[in-house]
Amino acid sequence: MRNVLIVLKKEWLEITRQRSLLLGVTLPPLIFSLLPIVLMIITGKVPVAATRINTISALPIPSLAHLSPDELAQGVVALQFSVLYLILPVIIPSVIAAYSIVGEKSNRTLEPLLATPVKTWELLVGKCIAAILPAVIATWLSGVIFIGALSTFSISPRVFTAVVTPGWLVALFLWTPVISLLAVAFMTAVSARVNDPRTAEQFSAWFVVPFLILFLGQMFGIIVLGIFFSLLALLVLIVLTFAAFWVVTRLFQREVILTRWK
Amino acid sequence: MNAIEISRLTRVFGERVAVQDLTLAIPAGSVFGFLGPNGAGKTTTVRMLAALIAPSSGSALVAGHELGKENEQIRRAVGILTETPGLYDRLSARQNLLFFARLYGLDGQKAEGQVERYLRMLDLWERRNDRVGGFSKGMRQKLAIARALLHEPEVVFLDEPTSGLDPEAARTVRQFIAELRSEGRTIFLTTHNLHEADELCDQVGVFRTRLLRVDTPANLRVGMFGRGTVVRVVGEAEHWLETARALPFVGGVVANKDSLTVRLNDPDYQNPMLIRALITAGAQVRYVEAISHSLEEVYLGLIDGQAQTKPDGQLQEERK
Repeated sequence: MRNVLIVLKKEWLEITRQRSLLLGVTLPPLIFSLLPIVLMIITGKVPVAATRINTISALPIPSLAHLSPDELAQGVVALQFSVLYLILPVIIPSVIAAYSIVGEKSNRTLEPLLATPVKTWELLVGKCIAAILPAVIATWLSGVIFIGALSTFSISPRVFTAVVTPGWLVALFLWTPVISLLAVAFMTAVSARVNDPRTAEQFSAWFVVPFLILFLGQMFGIIVLGIFFSLLALLVLIVLTFAAFWVVTRLFQREVILTRWK
Repeated sequence: MNAIEISRLTRVFGERVAVQDLTLAIPAGSVFGFLGPNGAGKTTTVRMLAALIAPSSGSALVAGHELGKENEQIRRAVGILTETPGLYDRLSARQNLLFFARLYGLDGQKAEGQVERYLRMLDLWERRNDRVGGFSKGMRQKLAIARALLHEPEVVFLDEPTSGLDPEAARTVRQFIAELRSEGRTIFLTTHNLHEADELCDQVGVFRTRLLRVDTPANLRVGMFGRGTVVRVVGEAEHWLETARALPFVGGVVANKDSLTVRLNDPDYQNPMLIRALITAGAQVRYVEAISHSLEEVYLGLIDGQAQTKPDGQLQEERK
């Protein structure tokens, strides 16, 4: 465990010394925390035009079906925003892992590191924690700010209960660490094939696709983030994460890194 | 006592043999020069001996630990300077070294002490808090050497330590290597700089996939071209060809302008008799000097010799 902490400390030291990386890690949660507050205030105070109400009412979102037109306008904005928080645990660890693993490879620091007595699992765990911890903290914090904003600025408690459902809470608090781990595993696998952190980040963009499906699915009423769906998805994510780490632990071996990584 | 003992070490990548049947013993406290062209398998050998990659077959004892069975102990007992310095550019010199010192198991004051010791030794102490990204190539190389030594390893692998350095920085590094030897460390030096190998190494091995020759630099020179004397005379040396040839201990003679090159098996003993015979015969001797060949000539002779004996004339490239 000592070596894990040494690696973790070094990773965070490096993160704090890279402005672009710091920006990539702090900006999305900052936006995701401030924007809902502003939007909740606007949608709560500015009456929605009649034509827009008709458009919004036409959206087949079952969880919002019982809301009044004004509540619905605020509810739609809040509901779509709530899904965006699930993208944070993809973006942040991907950005960190891209620099942490691919960066290490492109700077040729991996070989001296592997020459030390550190075990490869200690190295991997240290790098994983360094990448997922900021993501989990930022996502949870942004989510809590969102919940606070919604409870303070929502038109009625019905909007709050329609958005902050048990299913969404499971997604926010339990999906987040699992998604972060999955993102790190994905980036580690990508690291074996690419030599540039920016290319690795581009690969991670594909990882956002399932969450866009969830976003659009909710908007068109195809997916409802209920408790059953959330728990089932959590189970699938856990299985996927285990499978991904099974592959990654085989990729992240001294022999493989030095002889097979491109 | 040997610091490294290698027996029939082989590494194969797919169908390509990178290292074949390497057998070698390196005495503790000596500097061993590992010479060979690019792609000869030198880096693969170092990686195997530093327990970074596994051999396909064969065995090795490094600092008394068995390769494959005691890899972690080997990693603790060796220091390695890789082909490229591989430093964290955004961290300071001190932070770079502290990170590695801790990974090598040094704690608190001990780690700080070692970092200070090596930064001072390599004239980097004043720049300890500067980011490594702003360092010159020579400073980076010195820092990488310091990193390899923080945990006081018994065996140090140095891969091209002076490559790309300016003459002054290269001299500093060479002096440092000499100091390490005087401390009793075993140094496995991979280099293309044959002058450096000649200057620093107790033993050199010429390697291309397999070990072609291993000996002291001096013995290698003698073994390859033999020993002898060049006698420079007034006038054409050809006049004295027969005189020299008539001497029973002379192995061969070649005359070229004013030089008579005489092959001898014991010049220290036979030179006085050779010179006496030439002077008695009427030769006016201007200079007498030993036949000298550089390590480079020996190296090229061995490498060219091996290339010619390869049936397809192809040189195998090592995967980096």
